[in-house]
Amino acid sequence: MVRFLHSADLHLGKPFGSMPDELRGRLREARHTVLDRLAAQARTAAAETILLAGDVFDTETPSPAVLRQALAAMAGHDGVRWILLPGNHDSLAAEALWAGLATSRPANVVLATEPAPVRLADDVVLLPAPCTTRRPGRDLTEWLDGAATPPGTIRIGFAHGAVQSFSEDGGAGDVIAPDRATRAGLDYLALGDWHGQMRIGPRTWYSGAPEPDRFKHDASGRALLVTIPAAGTEPVVEPIETGSFDWRTLVLDCLAGDEPGAHLAALLPAGPARRQTLLRILATGRTRPPARARLEADIKAIAPEFALLQLEAQELVTECESEDLDQIDHAGALRQAADMLLAESRDDGRSSGEREVAREALMRLFSYCATAS
Amino acid sequence: MKLTALRLHNVRRFAGTGVRIENIGDGINVLCAANEHGKSTCFDALHALFFQPHTGTPGSVQALRPYSGGNPLVEADLTTADGAFRLTKQFYGGRRAQVRERDSGRLIAQADEAERFISALVKGGISGPAGLLWVRQGVTGIERRAKAEDETERRARETVLTSVQGEVEALTGGRRMTEALAACEEELLRLVTATGRPKTGGPYASAIDESEQLAEQERRLGAEVADLRAALDRRRTIRVRLAEIDTPEMARERQAALAEAEAELSAAKAQAESLKAAESKAALALNRRVSAEQALSGFRQALARFASLRDAEAGAAQERDAARARHQGAAGVVREAATAVESAEREEREQRDLLARLERALRAQEAARRLATARDSEREAQATREQIERMEATLKSLILPAGKIAELEEIDGQLLQLQARAEARAPHLRIDYAAGAEGGISIAGVMLAQAEERPLAGTTQIEIAAIGRLTVTAPQAEEDDRSLARAKAKRKTLLDELQVDSLAAARQREVQARDLKADLDLARRRLQLFAPGGLAALQEQIARLEAEAASADEVPADLDAASRQLGTVEARVGAVREAARAAQARTETSASALVEAERHAAGLSSALAALAESLGPETQWRGREERLAAEHAETNLAWRAAQRQVEELAARRIDLAAAEARQLRLRSVMDAAREEITRLREEAAGLDGRIQTRTETAIEEAWQETRDRLAQAQRRTAVLAREVAILTRLRGALEAARSQARDHYFAPVLQELCPLLGLLFDDASVTFDEDTLLPRSVLRNGLDEQVGVLSGGMREQLAILTRLAFARLLAKGGQPTPVILDDALVYSDDDRIEKMFDALHRQASAQQVIVFSCRQRAFARLGGRVLRMEPWQPEH
Repeated sequence: MVRFLHSADLHLGKPFGSMPDELRGRLREARHTVLDRLAAQARTAAAETILLAGDVFDTETPSPAVLRQALAAMAGHDGVRWILLPGNHDSLAAEALWAGLATSRPANVVLATEPAPVRLADDVVLLPAPCTTRRPGRDLTEWLDGAATPPGTIRIGFAHGAVQSFSEDGGAGDVIAPDRATRAGLDYLALGDWHGQMRIGPRTWYSGAPEPDRFKHDASGRALLVTIPAAGTEPVVEPIETGSFDWRTLVLDCLAGDEPGAHLAALLPAGPARRQTLLRILATGRTRPPARARLEADIKAIAPEFALLQLEAQELVTECESEDLDQIDHAGALRQAADMLLAESRDDGRSSGEREVAREALMRLFSYCATAS
Repeated sequence: MKLTALRLHNVRRFAGTGVRIENIGDGINVLCAANEHGKSTCFDALHALFFQPHTGTPGSVQALRPYSGGNPLVEADLTTADGAFRLTKQFYGGRRAQVRERDSGRLIAQADEAERFISALVKGGISGPAGLLWVRQGVTGIERRAKAEDETERRARETVLTSVQGEVEALTGGRRMTEALAACEEELLRLVTATGRPKTGGPYASAIDESEQLAEQERRLGAEVADLRAALDRRRTIRVRLAEIDTPEMARERQAALAEAEAELSAAKAQAESLKAAESKAALALNRRVSAEQALSGFRQALARFASLRDAEAGAAQERDAARARHQGAAGVVREAATAVESAEREEREQRDLLARLERALRAQEAARRLATARDSEREAQATREQIERMEATLKSLILPAGKIAELEEIDGQLLQLQARAEARAPHLRIDYAAGAEGGISIAGVMLAQAEERPLAGTTQIEIAAIGRLTVTAPQAEEDDRSLARAKAKRKTLLDELQVDSLAAARQREVQARDLKADLDLARRRLQLFAPGGLAALQEQIARLEAEAASADEVPADLDAASRQLGTVEARVGAVREAARAAQARTETSASALVEAERHAAGLSSALAALAESLGPETQWRGREERLAAEHAETNLAWRAAQRQVEELAARRIDLAAAEARQLRLRSVMDAAREEITRLREEAAGLDGRIQTRTETAIEEAWQETRDRLAQAQRRTAVLAREVAILTRLRGALEAARSQARDHYFAPVLQELCPLLGLLFDDASVTFDEDTLLPRSVLRNGLDEQVGVLSGGMREQLAILTRLAFARLLAKGGQPTPVILDDALVYSDDDRIEKMFDALHRQASAQQVIVFSCRQRAFARLGGRVLRMEPWQPEH
């Protein structure tokens, strides 16, 4: 029986340059402290080993502070053994990084830098496929098929990369065979690279990032607690929560005549959780200018409660009716200007950019008149 | 549109009750009531009916509600071009809006449709002003506004222009338009300058700057990252290479190969040395053989040459002697020819001399002949000249100065005139003798003849025969006498000067002189004939001819014969000269042939002598030749032996160049390996440093961060650029609409306003500038006042008049509109109010005007229909 924690893609030292300064510090700090949270989860689950399947570091040349503090944090958890695999971000091409790690690693940190079996216990062998470069151009796990182990040994594959190519130029060379676990007779294949947790097969899993770093996956940070009772038996895989920040995308589908603000309030997380939430509100559908203005005002009002709150309203079509224009003015030059802009925003003879500008200009006029009256 | 009735219930002070105003007619309608009778309530209710949706409860609707609560109900009857209607609106509880046909009570529209119906009534088209024109107490616009705002407004409208413009704009969206424009402008100017460029220090410019800075930084960091990656790759390559070449086995291998090559090279070098020695020995032997051969063949050639030279020398000597003989012969001929030429030339000279002498004799003969003629001419000329001299002397004495004769003639004339005059003045004596007494009277002894007249001058003694002596003294005319005497004296002087006694003599002398002159001319011409060049020339010619005639000393002989003789002699001279020249040419040729023959002979002699010298005595020639032949055979043998030795050595030779090349190659391989190892190690060390530095500064992290920030900054720039575009578009739309509205209303309203102003201010007129639409001046009591601050009264009057002007404009456009005034004339004095009344009445002829006022007394004079409020309860 073996039990370990499977994680990957910590991306320590990721800069988050596009974030506001104050939040950047917090996000970076959360990446560092995820080591502690992983260790705590391992201890709770009585797992001695934590497999980090690549991209532990965000770059090939992390700053000494990032590197040393990470090693110190790992060293601080005595009973836990950390096994680090080079990923595409921190591949073996980063000689300095791996050489530095080799010399300064604490005793409880193991570097899986060779495609050779690593014995974890008497009957447990780890078969790593470290990334040699950023883009190896071949399936590095191929050697696993022929890796001989004594009978009855639990074989754990350990790799970093995609199982599916998204590129269109046919460069599928470095895609890991999705059935590698079967082919190589693995009891479990621990994969890294995909930041969302994902089951490829009963024995093949992406752990996902323990601390999310983007809106893409829309899930909290997690790791996997894997228990393999014996060689050949199906592993028990349990997701565990490790994230500190939540990156969420909230789709707000609006209907004309609806009050999207009220709709939104129901979707927002509870008060205290907001500080740890980066929320992206994707507004779609149709709305009317007053509702739109109120929505924006609402969001502006609650934004400070969140780590980050942004409204993306490119998909939200704001429609103007004549009664909306009445709010600007019933008649006269102001109304005439509003009518002009409305007509322009509906004029198919104009470019979409021009129409958009006219629509926004009308919204702006609307907001001026709303505050003036 | 016209209002005909207004009813309200549960509005403000009419809690639970109602009030109605019926029979509102055309023209002026006045509702006069004291304050707190609900006048303004009616006004507000009417306003709400037209402008507040029945569903809403904004401030103005709330204000309609009684304190006790309830649901305000407002109802109005009106007629339009389409018919008569009743509008009903209830707010709060039971909120509703209805439009019915007034007479039939048929429901036409309700709720939103009713609202639209009402909107259509009050909207003058999409760009027109509201269909109702309102003026409230002390307020010049229809908007609701705060007190402070009102103050600001008042100050802002301190000129007639702004006042009128304000009215226009109030009806064309003005104040909110201004606010919207100001807000737009403010937001825009935060981002860009007036010319549309990003404003320095503003967020837009900052975002652009930041983007640029970050792009630059990103580029720099990117380059550094690329450099780092390149360094890493390079170092890896170096390590692989070093692992290949920098091993002890490799070094040993290279060393062994080199040692072997070097041994081979030294063996080859030793062999090459001995071969070289043998070769030089062989070369020496060859040299000796060649020189022996040369000596032998040289000697033999010298002998052969000696023999041939000797023959040649003998031939040359013969040749030379022959040439000498030929030359001497030629020289003899030349000498003879020279003698012949000399004698012929002498003869020619003599003949020439003879010919010259003969010619000279001939010329002397001719000269003697011409001398005789010349001497005759000279004699003639001499005689003629003497004659001329004489004639000239005579002429000189005869000739009179020019003009003297004319002078003399004039004086004579004068004299005669004077005498005649004197005579005419003198008394005349005449006697006519009586018969028988003739000759009885005489004067100075002269008898006076019968009827003779005699002038008397001075004293005259007349003897009368037989009677006595009669003395008559005539008075002298002194003047005449003096003139006469002067003339006589002058004549005398002139005559003396000319040496003649009278004018006739003078004239005669003049004739003589003229004849003499003609003769003189003749003589001179004759002299010219004899001596054309003058006498001296003639004499000179004579002298010359004399000398020439004297020079002949020979008798002239036959000149032609002498001449022919000379021709013959000259021909002979030419012939002998030509012969001499030919002989000379021949002798020159023979001389040079002689020189050449001598030189040739001498050359051969000296060559022969030199050769003989080098050959030595002829007796030893044979022995010497044998010695040289033996020497040649011996050296030839030595050379062959040496040559054989060389060939033997060469056959055994090792290729030195190949050995050398191999040794060099192996050495260079080893050097290159060593050099490469050193270089790669150094480069690796350098790369280590570079990588170390970059790694320590976490360059990739910084790059990534910069990229993120750049993307963020670019997004922000794009957002701001869009913002600028939006605001610019909005500003454009607002300005366009405003200027259009102004064009549409401002000028026409002014046009309508002017006559109304005239009506109100009959003692004053306001002039507007046609172009700028600015009021120029106020002409009052004959004084042209600058338009300055207007009184409150004037302002409110202007406000009312502006609305009336508007109403006129709308009525003209087929859209009659009621004008509603609520205590609109609070600042105006009575006099002015009356004038306003006139204006209103004038207006009301085609216009409904509804006046609410509390000034009952003042408005009593307004006339028009008087409206009354009556209690009212709605039917339902």
